[in-house]
Amino acid sequence: MLEIKDIHKSFGNNEILKGVDLTIDKGDVVVILGPSGSGKTTLLRCINFLERADKGTAKFGELEVDLKNASKREVLEVRKKTAFVFQNYNLFNNKTALENVMEGLVIARKVPKDEAREIAKKALDKVGLSEKYDSYPSQLSGGQQQRVGIARAVALNPDIILFDEPTSALDPELVGEVLNTMKEIANEGTTMLVVTHEMGFARDVANKVIFMDGGVIVEEGSPHDIFVTPKEERTKRFLRRVLPGSFDYEI
Amino acid sequence: MLDFEFLIDTFFVALSGVPVAILVTVVALLIAMPIGFLLAMTRINKIPVLNQIAKIYVSFVRGTPIIIQIFVLYSFLPIVINMFFEKYNIDYPVYDIHPIWYAFVIFSFNTAAVLIEVFRSALSTVDKGQLEAAHSVGLTTAQAYRRVIIPQALVSALPNLCTATVNLIKATSLGYAISLQEITLRAKVEANFGYNYLEAYIDIFIVYLILCILVEQLFKYWEKRLSRYKVASA
Repeated sequence: MLEIKDIHKSFGNNEILKGVDLTIDKGDVVVILGPSGSGKTTLLRCINFLERADKGTAKFGELEVDLKNASKREVLEVRKKTAFVFQNYNLFNNKTALENVMEGLVIARKVPKDEAREIAKKALDKVGLSEKYDSYPSQLSGGQQQRVGIARAVALNPDIILFDEPTSALDPELVGEVLNTMKEIANEGTTMLVVTHEMGFARDVANKVIFMDGGVIVEEGSPHDIFVTPKEERTKRFLRRVLPGSFDYEI
Repeated sequence: MLDFEFLIDTFFVALSGVPVAILVTVVALLIAMPIGFLLAMTRINKIPVLNQIAKIYVSFVRGTPIIIQIFVLYSFLPIVINMFFEKYNIDYPVYDIHPIWYAFVIFSFNTAAVLIEVFRSALSTVDKGQLEAAHSVGLTTAQAYRRVIIPQALVSALPNLCTATVNLIKATSLGYAISLQEITLRAKVEANFGYNYLEAYIDIFIVYLILCILVEQLFKYWEKRLSRYKVASA
């Protein structure tokens, strides 16, 4: 359903992505792991044209685009097929939760207002915020804001939702509610590409795990492949560092 | 000591200049806002050439007294207009042009420069994640600005916009230099007959004070309405 070929991206002299290929099928939940600076977020942002790649192609079903030279119209087409959940939520501060979810439906997808309102309400109900339709982002906790962010993505009914470290900005006690919401959405068959540091989520929800380092994909496979029987030395070293219960030193 | 009858009569004379002052202010703002906004965008996005021009423009306007800008433009514009009229064979005596037209040009020119900086600082208070989020749900950049970024920037621009507007109202008093029939000139002309300058100045003082306080209150109300979404951010 989504096929990405040979993405390259540099910032100045710093080459962040050095040729990444990725295939995602419908209903897949793909988790990208990797140390910071490995290019995970940049990869996600290039897919949605929040950054322009220096090279590469993406194929969304029938639609094939050049990630470097796509026209404005193609960019809008791709954005209609994707949705993005941001690390810092990035809810529209001047709009209520309901308006946040409706915005893309009404303005970009030209859904009639009444219909959009129903869709938006359903999406907010799904993430457990039926009480908060008319709240502004400033009135919501971080976890609630991120769930609105997820509802905003889900409501668009995209082919794929891209999650960029959705829980990294949250207080520890709020991480659970967001992960649970993501899990529910995954169980409904939504195709997801998730950059995260939540190993538990990767192990339990993903059907494919990708380990990135230094701008390339080092290893990919099922959660079992990556967490239990990793082949690459770099993967093993990373997992030793991040997985609890595998300390190789004593306190 | 004070001639109270004159004081009261002249107050209403000064008051009769208010519509002119407001007209000049409103027209100047309407012309200056789009120019100020567009040039602020060129400065934020560092668009070559235009960015430099905007920078120099702001420095020029900020670095010279308004009264001198008025004198320069008022002497310079008729020459340009005359050349233009001659070239296109328009038979209209340049010196019959009503001074209010000059006032529109001069105060727009001045206010646009002020607003560039007002809008530039206001737009930079909106996190760039807002634009990214708007893009991610499929909005075009123009739609994102209209529906998300400008409404938020406006809230932080309002206090400075209020200052700019009040300054502009006060600056229209310099219109007397180009014989614009506004508040100051009208009251001064009254005073010329019997040398009641003190009374006339007190009237002018009070009229501007009332006008500016009203405008301030209007902006306060507007700011309160626009920042409803910030309810709980305290």
